[in-house]
Amino acid sequence: MGRFQRAVGVVILGTAGLGALLLWIAIRSNGGAAAHAPRRGFVFGVWEVLYDTQAPSSRVLLIATGMALLFAAGVALLERRIATRARRSEDLHRLPLAPRIVMAETRGIYHGPVNVTVLVPAHNEAACIGDTIRSLQAQSHSPERVVVVADNCSDATESIALALGVEVFRTVENTRKKAGALNQVLRELLPVQDENDLVMVMDADTTLDPGFLEAAVRRMTADRALMAIGGLFHGEAGKGLLGQLQRNEYARYAREMKRRRGRVFVLTGTASLFRPRALRAVAAERGHSLPGVPGDVYDTIALTEDNELTLALKSLGGLMISPPDCTVVTEVMATWKALWVQRLRWQRGALENLGAYGLTPQTFRYWAQQLGIGYGVIALSTYLLLMVLMVLSLDHWVWFPFWVGIGAVFAVERTVTVWRAGPQARLLGAMLFPELVYSMFLDIVYVKGIIDISFARTAHWEHKAPAPAAQIQEPERA
Amino acid sequence: MSGPLTQAWGLLLPQSFLGSPVFAVLAAFVAINTVMYLALAIAKILPKVYLSDHLPNGNRRSETRSIHPDRTR
Repeated sequence: MGRFQRAVGVVILGTAGLGALLLWIAIRSNGGAAAHAPRRGFVFGVWEVLYDTQAPSSRVLLIATGMALLFAAGVALLERRIATRARRSEDLHRLPLAPRIVMAETRGIYHGPVNVTVLVPAHNEAACIGDTIRSLQAQSHSPERVVVVADNCSDATESIALALGVEVFRTVENTRKKAGALNQVLRELLPVQDENDLVMVMDADTTLDPGFLEAAVRRMTADRALMAIGGLFHGEAGKGLLGQLQRNEYARYAREMKRRRGRVFVLTGTASLFRPRALRAVAAERGHSLPGVPGDVYDTIALTEDNELTLALKSLGGLMISPPDCTVVTEVMATWKALWVQRLRWQRGALENLGAYGLTPQTFRYWAQQLGIGYGVIALSTYLLLMVLMVLSLDHWVWFPFWVGIGAVFAVERTVTVWRAGPQARLLGAMLFPELVYSMFLDIVYVKGIIDISFARTAHWEHKAPAPAAQIQEPERA
Repeated sequence: MSGPLTQAWGLLLPQSFLGSPVFAVLAAFVAINTVMYLALAIAKILPKVYLSDHLPNGNRRSETRSIHPDRTR
């Protein structure tokens, strides 16, 4: 791992810390707020309470509001500008997937209808592979081809797949996990795919909603410059409070995607479709303008290969969307420990990818996002520190009407943003505190990710024993 | 009588700590941050306005983007 890659975490948290420090100094030089004694009052004329009307001055309120909105609008505007420039680019060498270039190369030629080949990488997925294949076969537009990429399976994954009438590709001496398995199958598949022969990659523990492929095919037919479509994921039902917390988080992400009109952050590994031209361009650029081994579609070093591939496609100017009608149901973690492992991998992977790509126009949005989370960690921890100090130094509970009001607005925001996810989601959002604890948990994962990457700690990922056999197997016909 | 003995104490710290300059700065810091996040929360509650929908736009597609070259739009 390079020095810059190791420094990524420190750069991000350091910048967020510097922002916080500047604010702190500004307040101190301004004299801070003056404290005064709380008053006594009655609620409904019955309960005696202590309350304090202390609230920030209107000037402070205005400046804080202005700063927040300026930052958010600034990031959004810059992101739009960068996207528009890539869209209009005619730079064949730097942005070979830019819409203008793709349009020029495909103008006036009909390459046949859009069809879909689905790749399902699977490592001992006997428990769920059947459901996944059946969800594909039940699609309103069923895929032309389904290939289960069996990676070192020692269970019934392959036989279940063959019995359901789909193809099986068995990896050969793969030690590079999912990314390595996909590279092997893509190396055979891509050379024979025509312009509109889409490749879809989906996880074995994911179930597509019935209209997913129909919507994707419609969009890919209507826009030949569209290079990729990412699924919008919803959490599966069950797994108690922790499951609901994750479902709420995914529901907010889906809402945010809709508000962004589908402009993608990450083409999720759970289910994404690509035009073969896009994957071929990535494989050709690896080792040149993109990190990784020449000829590989996926970078096998990246912990989060889907996030890395998104950055790769964006860096080449590719157009991509996450439309609201392409939804999938994905697994939620059942324990805090499993969630910890999953999120640490995501966080660590996101930071490593940023380190590998550096600060470019295409990665700007992701840097800003990491910076935002870093500042959020500082804001939340100082908030908690303040609460603890207050509790430890007051002999009576004192109510602050201004801050209670602010809490109410946050409760409304938490509820409104998960409204479509149902009554349980709304109830949990309105309670505010469970989601606050969940945010704290994610913040700790974030800090742990930064510490790990800074000290170049290698996480211990399972290495699988390679299996000897080869080639695509035809399904058994009944 | 005056002095520390008459001072009101919370669970662990004297109540006068809440009047100290450090606490005042921390309180103001947290207040500003909270208000910043409040502004963002309100922005998330409200329906999003897409400015480009209301502006005259010379950006319309000049040719079909469909995979069928003979499609008119």
